[in-house]
Amino acid sequence: MVEFRKVSKKYANGTLALNKIDLHINKGEFAFVVGPSGSGKSTLVKLVLKEENPTEGEVYVNGYDISSLKRREVPYLRRSIGIVFQDFRLLPNKTVYENVEFAMQITESLPKEIRRQVPMSLGLVGLSKKADAYPNQLSGGEQQRVALARALVNNPSLLIADEPTGNLDPETSWEIMKLMTEINYRGTTVIVATHEKSIVNSMKKRVIAIDKGQIIRDEEKGQYENEVKNSQIYS
Amino acid sequence: MKLRTAKYIVKEGFVNTYRNILMSFASIVVVGASLLVFGVFWAIMANINYNTRIFTEQPEMEVFCNPELDDAQITTIEWLIMSDDRISEYTIISKEEALERAKEMLGDDKSVLEGFEGEDILPVSFIIKLDNPGNSKDVVDKLSVFPGVDNVRYSQETIDLISKLVRWIRAGSGMLILMLLVISIVIIANTIKLTVFSRRKEINIMKFIGATDWFIRLPFIVEGVIIGLVGALISFGVINLIYTEVSGRIINSVYFLKVLEGKEIYSDLILSISLIGVLVGALGSTVSIRKHLRV
Ligand SMILES: Nc1ncnc2c1ncn2[C@@H]1O[C@H](COP(=O)(O)OP(=O)(O)OP(=O)(O)O)[C@@H](O)[C@H]1O
Ligand SMILES: [Mg+2]
Repeated sequence: MVEFRKVSKKYANGTLALNKIDLHINKGEFAFVVGPSGSGKSTLVKLVLKEENPTEGEVYVNGYDISSLKRREVPYLRRSIGIVFQDFRLLPNKTVYENVEFAMQITESLPKEIRRQVPMSLGLVGLSKKADAYPNQLSGGEQQRVALARALVNNPSLLIADEPTGNLDPETSWEIMKLMTEINYRGTTVIVATHEKSIVNSMKKRVIAIDKGQIIRDEEKGQYENEVKNSQIYS
Repeated sequence: MKLRTAKYIVKEGFVNTYRNILMSFASIVVVGASLLVFGVFWAIMANINYNTRIFTEQPEMEVFCNPELDDAQITTIEWLIMSDDRISEYTIISKEEALERAKEMLGDDKSVLEGFEGEDILPVSFIIKLDNPGNSKDVVDKLSVFPGVDNVRYSQETIDLISKLVRWIRAGSGMLILMLLVISIVIIANTIKLTVFSRRKEINIMKFIGATDWFIRLPFIVEGVIIGLVGALISFGVINLIYTEVSGRIINSVYFLKVLEGKEIYSDLILSISLIGVLVGALGSTVSIRKHLRV
C-alpha cells in the first residue's frame, strides 16, 4: 500500500528532513506517525502525495511509483488517496454539500452516483443536517468532518491525515479520531501524523516514531513515547 | 471531457465571475478601457486610410486659363477636359468665385481687393480630379500646351510627399496599436492575476484533491473570456456613441475630410474587439494561473 525504500529528503536549503527511511504500511492498517516538531512527519506525508520528491530512494503508493510519476499523472494518484489537513482546506465559496460533491465532479462521476455518495458520506460524519451551510458557519470540528467526508466520498483505499486535530479541542479531537477508526474498520488504510499524545496512547494502534528524519521506533499497539523513557520521567 | 464536465466548467466560470463581482467589474472596466482606446484608434485609422486613399487616388490639379479668354474659348477648354476620360471629375471656378476665394484666403486683408469687382484680374480655372495618379504627368503635359491655358498647378513632389506621409502615418499608427495591444494584455493579465491570487488557496485545494490542471484552468479561462467579451461589448457601445457624435460634427465642419459612416466600420470593429477581448482574457488567465498549478 505505502512503501518507503531508503528514502531521504533534502530540501533546497540543505535541511535533511528525512534520512534513509524504510517503511511499509499494509492494506487495512491504521498507523500513527509521531515525533517532535521538525522531525519530518509532514515531509513524509508530502512525499506520499508527491507534493515533494525524494532526493534518494523510492516511494510506492497504491501501486504508483512516485519518483517516476509524470506531472499529468499526479491527479490520479491523489484521487486514490483521501487527504485531511490540519487547516481543513475547504472551499469557502461552496456549501458543505458542494465541497463534498466537488471531489466527485473532479473525477467526472455520474450524477446518479454523486447523488448517492455525497449524502452517504455526509451521513457517515454526522453532518447531513448541515449540507447547505458554508464552511465559515461551522465549528472547527464540523469543518474537519466535512473535510473527512470529502476525503472519503470517492472511496479511496488510503486516508492520510497531517495533524487532523491540531486546531481542535480535546473532545472534538476524539470524535475525529473515532471517525477515522471507523473508516479504518470499513477497510481503508489510515495514516495519521499527530502530536496527540493521550489519543495515541489510548488507541493502541501502530506507532511509527520519527526523530531528526529517522525512524526511531515502529511498534504495533504502540505508545506516543518510549516506555523506558516514560518510566524514567515518572520515576 | 464529458459534456457535464464542460457544463460544470462553463457554469463555474460564470458563477465565479459573479461571486467575485467587484474584481470582475474592475477587470471589465480595464479591458473595456483598453479596447476603447484601441477602437478609437481603429476608427481614426480607418478614416485616415479612407481619406488618404481618396486623396492619393484622385490627386487634384488646377488648370488656370489665360485671363483674356472669352467664354467660347473657355468652353473649348472645358470640352477638352470633359472629353478626357482620365479625368474623373472637374469643377469650374468662375472669375467671381475666384475673387471670393481670394477674399476668403486674405481674410482681414481682403480690403485690398475692393474696387476690383468685375475686372479681369483673376483667371477662370478648372479643378480636376484624376482616376489614377499615375496619369497625372501625361495629363499635365497635354493640358499645359493647349492654347489658352496659362498653367497647370500640380506637383509630383506634392504627391510624393503625400504618399510618403501616408506610409509614415500607417506605420506609426500600426505600431501604436500594437503597443496598445501589448499594454492591454499586460494590464488584463495583471487584473486576472489578482483574481487568481485571491483564489490561490482554492487552486491549491483542488490540486490536492486530484483535479487535473485543465479542470482547474478552464473555469478561469471561461472567466477571462467572459470579462474580455463583456469589456469588448461595453467598449463597442461607447465607441458607437462617440463615433456617431464626433463624425457628425466633422462632416458639418471640416469640408475637405470625408468621414466613413458608422456601419462601414462597425462589423470589422466589433469582430476584432471581441476577438481581442476573448483572446486577451483567455491568455491573461492562462498566464496568471500557470505559477499556481505547480504544486
Ligand atoms: N519547504 C521546505 N524547505 C526547507 N526546509 C523545510 C521545508 N519544509 C520543511 N522543512 C524542514 O524540514 C524539517 C522537517 O519538517 P516537517 O515539516 O516535515 O516537520 P514536522 O515533523 O511535520 O514538524 P511539525 O510537527 O512541527 O509539523 C524541518 O527542519 C523543517 O524546517
Ligand atoms: Mg508537520
